[in-house]
Amino acid sequence: MTAGMLLPVALLGLATGVLTGPRWPRLWVGLMLAGSAAAALAAATVLAGGADWEWRSAFPLAGEPVHLRLDGLSAFFLVLLAVIGGAGAAYAHGYWSGEEQRTIGARGRLWWSGLVLSLALVLVLSNGLHFLIAWELFAVCAFFLILLDKQRPEVRAAGWLYLASSHAATLALFAFFALLASRTGSWELGPMRTGGARDAELAPLLWLALFGFGLKAGLFPLHVWLPSAHASAPSHVSAMLSGVALKIGVYGLMRFSGWLPVPTGLGWTLAGLGAVSALLGVAFSLAQNDSKRLLAYCSVENVGIIAVGLGFALVAAGQGDAPWGRLVLAGALLHVWNHGLFKSLLFFGAGSVLHATGTREMSRLGGLWRPMPWTAGLFALGAAAISGLPPLNGFVSEWLVYLGLFESATGRGAAAGAAVPAIIFLAVSGALALATFVKAGAMIFSGAPRSPAAEHAHESGPWMLGSMVVLAAGCVIVALAPGALFPAVARAAGAWNPAWGAPAAPVPLFTLGAVNAALAALFVVAAAWLWRRALGNGLRRGLTWDCGYAAPTARMQYTSGSFAGIAAGWFFWVLRMERKSLKPRGTFPGAARRVERVPETVLEHVIGPASEAILRVSTAVRRLQHGHLQSYILYLLGGVVALGLLVLVGGAR
Amino acid sequence: MMLILEIFLRLAGWLVLAPLLPGIINKVKAWVAGRRGPPVLQLYYDLARLWRKGVVLSTLASPGFVAGPAVGWVAILGAAMLLPLGPAGGALSFRGDVLLLVYLLAVARFCTAWAALETGSAFEGMGAAREVSYAVLAEAAVMTAVLSLSVLTGSVTLTTMLAPAAGAGAALLAAGLFIVLLAENCRVPFDDPNTHLELTMVHEVMVLDHSGPPLAAILHGASMKLLLFALLLCEAVLPLGRLAPAAAAGALAAGVLVVTVGVGLAESFMARLAFKRVPLLLTTAFLLCLFALLAAWKGGAV
Repeated sequence: MTAGMLLPVALLGLATGVLTGPRWPRLWVGLMLAGSAAAALAAATVLAGGADWEWRSAFPLAGEPVHLRLDGLSAFFLVLLAVIGGAGAAYAHGYWSGEEQRTIGARGRLWWSGLVLSLALVLVLSNGLHFLIAWELFAVCAFFLILLDKQRPEVRAAGWLYLASSHAATLALFAFFALLASRTGSWELGPMRTGGARDAELAPLLWLALFGFGLKAGLFPLHVWLPSAHASAPSHVSAMLSGVALKIGVYGLMRFSGWLPVPTGLGWTLAGLGAVSALLGVAFSLAQNDSKRLLAYCSVENVGIIAVGLGFALVAAGQGDAPWGRLVLAGALLHVWNHGLFKSLLFFGAGSVLHATGTREMSRLGGLWRPMPWTAGLFALGAAAISGLPPLNGFVSEWLVYLGLFESATGRGAAAGAAVPAIIFLAVSGALALATFVKAGAMIFSGAPRSPAAEHAHESGPWMLGSMVVLAAGCVIVALAPGALFPAVARAAGAWNPAWGAPAAPVPLFTLGAVNAALAALFVVAAAWLWRRALGNGLRRGLTWDCGYAAPTARMQYTSGSFAGIAAGWFFWVLRMERKSLKPRGTFPGAARRVERVPETVLEHVIGPASEAILRVSTAVRRLQHGHLQSYILYLLGGVVALGLLVLVGGAR
Repeated sequence: MMLILEIFLRLAGWLVLAPLLPGIINKVKAWVAGRRGPPVLQLYYDLARLWRKGVVLSTLASPGFVAGPAVGWVAILGAAMLLPLGPAGGALSFRGDVLLLVYLLAVARFCTAWAALETGSAFEGMGAAREVSYAVLAEAAVMTAVLSLSVLTGSVTLTTMLAPAAGAGAALLAAGLFIVLLAENCRVPFDDPNTHLELTMVHEVMVLDHSGPPLAAILHGASMKLLLFALLLCEAVLPLGRLAPAAAAGALAAGVLVVTVGVGLAESFMARLAFKRVPLLLTTAFLLCLFALLAAWKGGAV
């Protein structure tokens, strides 16, 4: 089987999925799974060393001949898309099974198939014009998916914000592709480095791409649309948006920085943006009280880690193939897969909780491990993985990035001075991510239930659990066999920079995989042994001792806000939490409350005021136009006089 | 065969020697205060007793409450096995193992904090919040220290990194790592391991509801972590690679003893810091490590 035979099958499956989705849910799941499997296989054949697949047709679409291409880099992202696309479809089948979900489900299935299809097209299309069309299709499908539950006003607000920022990105990309086409004389995409004078002309275009793709990827100051959009969408849609759609922004950056000449400052800028995203993304994440917003902000952090990797790889390539560049690039690529896997797993978990309790607020959850043991266990695995802890997959990719940065620092090259702060930023954001996910997992699943909804939760059905198990298995596979998967990473790296495609890992990845396996086995053995010992010695259940409380209640538990309080306080300068409190007063105090809200600082304190100022200025300017002819003549006269004065004073020559 | 024997010996060494350190610290404290104090082997007796005891489990706790201490204990032991022992080298050594060591300690932290939150107790939530928050600053300091050793030796492998002395920045690095040691092992001035039922603790409050064998695993793990940090500090500062094997082993043992006594003296002569000051001290540790890094940077390659 070759990619050329499998891709039409995938296309057929996904396209018929669009048609059958609204009416026949069972058929739809089957088609989506088959289409995703075919796409994954096609990509896998390319990654496993098969030839690039390319298809040109004379058939014109919008005046341009269709040109498809599946090379290492596209295939690398296509595998992730296919895995999450398939798992998400299965999850959706469980999630939208209820009667009350009928209309939402019908529309959701339609747009879901559309989203997967258009994302796949973005990955394989190799013509600038078609790329833009597919890109816009993907943005629109995602918009309608976010808007599924449009009765709620906050969903509509999130959808509007998403659409606005998505179009800002599209505008930049439109300019990018149009300028590219006008410079090269063709919409055809492909390697465009000539080493000649044209390079200097093409290089600045990548700044436009950085804005457009960076906005889609959610890099720090451009991430404003991300938290509300990801929190408002249905959970598997959030998984798709966070796990895959953000990565398409990363794909764009990788694709075009590989094909086009790169301006000198771009690598540094990207690395700097990445380091800031990593730190501030996780700081915002830690302060959230809404489980899905927490996960969404954490995506900003992970995209930051990927951007650090890609940025330093660009720097290394600019300095003539420093060997550490291969390590950071491999780390960035592997983190694309890893983040796609564990973030989707966590969003699925949060979605199961939302499905079972109807709330995303962590201060209303708690104690869910008892009614939902499977979800709790899988969420815990995802939480450990995303915190970058060994022996799971997050550690493997972060280890590669760290190792590359360390080698850069010890090499004392020009990048060493930047690698040192990047390492410290990553270390701090890693520790903050640990705090964030201890909080998320423990607030949702352990302790006492904080509300009746949490008390009466129920476990999710086999479709939802099954897709979570698949993603968790993916996390474990990457963790235990990073050495075996490295050729795929190298294939993608080779598509980015042909000199960097060596299939042998430059570092002891097989050793790390073996250590991971040994650790995992020891963890299981030790836990079982301790549990047996405890049972053997006699195990008694009792109230939480809590220094002697006779009747502890759920209200005495530490809340998510108090847990994050210390570390969030250090980031007050950027978080700007709004606190309202009503303190208890008097001998027999009555009601007391404390409400804390973490605003989206960049949006509410920078972009909001800025756009308001622009609006105010334009309203003021509009007063100049009022339909009084005599005033217009006065403007004209004034203008002519001013021009005349200018000529007189300036001394016409 | 030799390898298996070596690993077995190392394991036995870590398991048996680690609980000695808290005993020595307590003896020093007692000696300074003019008391007789508990026997040096007290922790061994405690562990043996706890291992035979039954367990009282909170009705709210999930199986993660017992799995947490087990996994944390293995993680610390794994980190310990990666640490080279002076002339003996490491049991397993590969490029980048130092990062695995740092992150294995993070695994232990994750498990302790997670298990603490299982009980739904406000005290334990408080302790876990403090643990994970202060760890952010400690992590920055540790990573900077690692970076300075790495820059100094041009390597990311523990055995190579720890062989020479830390050069001009040795004193800075020693001071920085000592502060991190106190913070990571919950010692005065960050935490008081002897107090209970106070709202100003970190580690002890996280393990309030643990009992029996799980508590034994936690206490033993904590003592191994203390030994690990003491060894790391000594190996980072002492030029063990330039000494004869026997002398290096002696210097290492003496160094660990000095650090342990130092911890005891610090606990005797210092009061616990107000919790608002803790970040300040940890930032100081980070800055000390950063200056050590700068010294290594300017010092040129070895």
